[in-house]
Amino acid sequence: MSLRRYFRRREWDQERVREMEAYLGEEIDDNIARGMTPEEARRRAYIQFGNPAVVREEIWEMNSFVWVENLGRDLRYAFRQLRRNPGFAVIATVTLALGISANTAIFSLVNGLLFSSLHIQDENRMVEIGFRQQGNEWQPNLSIPEYRALHEQSSDVFSQVIGDEYGLDGLTMAGNKPDRIFTDYVTGDYFDSLGAKPLLGRFFLASEGVMPGADPLIVLSYDYWKQHFGSDPNVIGRQVALNGHPLTVIGVAPRSFRGVNPALAIQAFLPLAMEVPITNVPAADFNKQSNRGMRLYARLQPGVTRASADARLSVMARLLASAHPDTENGADMHTFPLSAGRNAGFDPDNTLGGIAAMFQGLAGLVLLLACVNVANLLMVRATVREREMVIRSALGARHSRLIRQMLTESILLALFGGIGGMGLGFCGSSLLSSISLQTDLPIRFDCGFDWHVFVFSAAVALLAGVLVGLVPALRMARTDLNFVLREGGRGIAGGSNRFRNALVVVQVASAFILLIVAGLFTRSLSAGQHTSLGFNPDNVLTLAMDPVEIGYNDAQTRRFYGRLLERIRALPGVKVATTSGSTPMGIINNGDDTVSVPGYQAAPGQPEPSLLYNVIGTQFFETLQIPLVQGRNFVDGDTESGPRVAIISEAMAKKYWPHQDPLGRQFTMGSDPGHPMQVVGVAGDARYQGIAGPIGPLFYVPFLQRSAQNSLQTLQVRTAGDPAAMIATVEHSIGEMAPTLPIFEVKTLRQALYSPNGLLVYQVITAVAGIMGTMGLILSVIGVYSVLSYVVTQKTGEIGVRMALGAQRGDILKIVFKQGFWILGIGMVIGLAGAFGVSHLLRSLIVVSATDPATYVSVTAILAAIAILACYVPARRAMHVDPMQALRAE
Amino acid sequence: MVRSKKEQELLLGTLDMLILKTLLPGPAHGHTIAHVIEHTSEDVLQIEQGSLYPALHRLEDRGWVSSYWGTSENNRKARFYRLTATGRKQLRIETDRWHAMVQAIGRIVGGRTVTE
Repeated sequence: MSLRRYFRRREWDQERVREMEAYLGEEIDDNIARGMTPEEARRRAYIQFGNPAVVREEIWEMNSFVWVENLGRDLRYAFRQLRRNPGFAVIATVTLALGISANTAIFSLVNGLLFSSLHIQDENRMVEIGFRQQGNEWQPNLSIPEYRALHEQSSDVFSQVIGDEYGLDGLTMAGNKPDRIFTDYVTGDYFDSLGAKPLLGRFFLASEGVMPGADPLIVLSYDYWKQHFGSDPNVIGRQVALNGHPLTVIGVAPRSFRGVNPALAIQAFLPLAMEVPITNVPAADFNKQSNRGMRLYARLQPGVTRASADARLSVMARLLASAHPDTENGADMHTFPLSAGRNAGFDPDNTLGGIAAMFQGLAGLVLLLACVNVANLLMVRATVREREMVIRSALGARHSRLIRQMLTESILLALFGGIGGMGLGFCGSSLLSSISLQTDLPIRFDCGFDWHVFVFSAAVALLAGVLVGLVPALRMARTDLNFVLREGGRGIAGGSNRFRNALVVVQVASAFILLIVAGLFTRSLSAGQHTSLGFNPDNVLTLAMDPVEIGYNDAQTRRFYGRLLERIRALPGVKVATTSGSTPMGIINNGDDTVSVPGYQAAPGQPEPSLLYNVIGTQFFETLQIPLVQGRNFVDGDTESGPRVAIISEAMAKKYWPHQDPLGRQFTMGSDPGHPMQVVGVAGDARYQGIAGPIGPLFYVPFLQRSAQNSLQTLQVRTAGDPAAMIATVEHSIGEMAPTLPIFEVKTLRQALYSPNGLLVYQVITAVAGIMGTMGLILSVIGVYSVLSYVVTQKTGEIGVRMALGAQRGDILKIVFKQGFWILGIGMVIGLAGAFGVSHLLRSLIVVSATDPATYVSVTAILAAIAILACYVPARRAMHVDPMQALRAE
Repeated sequence: MVRSKKEQELLLGTLDMLILKTLLPGPAHGHTIAHVIEHTSEDVLQIEQGSLYPALHRLEDRGWVSSYWGTSENNRKARFYRLTATGRKQLRIETDRWHAMVQAIGRIVGGRTVTE
């Protein structure tokens, strides 16, 4: 078919008319010649030739893009239909928009966490390297000698090996107060390997970052350059100072560059070895085999699979272990996908993916509920429009054409719903990403609203449209339309209600599941707020600082904290004060490390987890009111010159020295095998992270024995009165000692409970689950109501007859309620089974039991009560049916 | 006239060939084409209602025939169809295929029996 024909098809059609006229003329002449009367001749000619209009139509279609034209016509028609019935159109669109928006919002989160592009070259060929010893848990941290070994000896499997180490440092410009920024100390080939091109200036050279202190250079992130340098195009060559060390700005990273972890808003990049002077890392530690603080990433050689790289890594790890038996004993290395580092880490049963999938599933349930409601509406409409369909069919419309028409209408609805849903979803996802993380740390919670989300939403909308339209369309396809015409309007939908009931059963079940999940989280949040933390969060003020940011060395830092504590403790209104690297539910600075305990044998096949430890000042336990169960507290005499000591938690004592006296026992940290520590005390268990599950083992070490690289400390002050009232006084005291020292994370310990390490996650999850549960409840109630209303309308005649035959109103009520109860009952039983399944998946997240009776009972009661109300309204209407009128209407 | 839908389809496939064959001696208009097919087949084959013109259109679209306005025997303005070179080639292809098919079917069905 040529386009020329398409545009000339009207002319063409005229020609065909003339041509066919000529044909018919010939035929008529022939017939007359055969002796027929002119009328008969004409009639026979037409019978023989067929309907000229049909022939014209056929040729016309041959000259057209039929498919497109029909679609256009269907769309126009559908649009007119919807305009004629704006109430229905609005309700259906809003319902679908709600369902789609829930999916869009959740998916944008999932996308941000797991799928959004890092904008690095050949992203899926990059892997992260994990390390472990003695079959313990995999960790993302390796040491610089390990990096070098990999870098030099793995070129058969990796084309590139890069590494970085995060820091928090103070950047000063021309005598200003330092600005605390998130830094990344990277290997020289970091940017090149990720395929990044500088926006301005240059990136580091492969040779830079090897010699400690040799390359005083800094690369700024796009955002930091924009916000703090006013997008100055002449920034290259500017002098700044980081922790008091002068540096030259050599480049600005492009806007899209987010490193390898989009959750961390890194503000500046430095050559790796610059961390020695800038962060006071002793040069000996920098090169220490066991000082594992780097994260390593590698690019697989073309054709090399992760499995073969893993095999190579195992061999390398064994070589390392035999070369350094003291520090690399039982070492093993393994590749992980980049996304593993994006969320919680290398834990194989990492729950984040599961949580994401579960929430996506719940959002899917909301959409299902919405679709069922709209399908119901469409089915009611289909009954109304039966006559239209019958007439169109009688006029020659094919069945497939009618079905296509109905599908076009529902997809048009879904399209509107999809647009609305994307808008709403965008609002929802920006709301989610604007949730304050209650922290000064530059952590980004980025909802990736990119093309993935658009494609996803469009697909969801299309699916919803087909789903919604298919139900009435299929029902119509099964119906004999002529039958409808004969029956006089009592048609399609009148047949069986079983399907409709099944849909509502699905709704009730879905709503039940949504409400149970919402209920479990609500209960968990309130349980978390009242859970025993192991410390007293009231009347404690916390302020974080890092003197390294203003250029203090280790000795100066130690002196600073010593004098600071003296001053603060002397303030009126202060009962007791301390400093610590980590604050329960607040900043967790020291991280974790594996420990080895002489005589302790891990269960075979069970990876030994690394333990949280906290580097603390004196009087820590008094300040947080954590009971010291046994032994002694740390004292000022516990310094580097004295014997190494540690205080362990009760859980740790129970784990490593069960039924024994742990006092006087020794253990070593994986990162410092040369300095065994002696247990001098046992403290009560305290929660540092999360509110669910048992409290894990942890231990404490004195600040004065481990001040290097632990200069970031949180000052904790227990006050007599309101701790917030002391903020100004305490900040003033710090300012008098170090006027330029940045102070951050100033909050009371009570406030700190609502941080990401504490209850924040529960608050967010509870809110999201609550919104979805409410949506589910509303949608399902509408579903129950509309179906029963429909049933009542449909049975008006029957009810009238029954009443005329003497049925009491109560009997009528019973009929309607009976149907409602069946739907509810079956829906709830299915919902109960589903809810058990879902909450079982959630059990690691919720504090209360997965079968928490209070939740189940109250959700059942609420759903039943509201659903019965939804039954009651139509039932009442049925009760008030006037038998005379009903019968007359028949 | 063949009524069953299946058989009609069989004929539809061959209608193109029949038209081309009809046009082999020279140009003709629609009415002549229809009559020639009917007469030549001794009225066994009649062109299905409304299928002649779509078929002609299809053939012209493929460039197997071309058309022009002329005057019929009865002095009517009529559209005449003429076989093109490609149409001639196509006729040969289709005739060959037809013979091959008839032979193949003949082999399966066997000779025409008198008892039928």
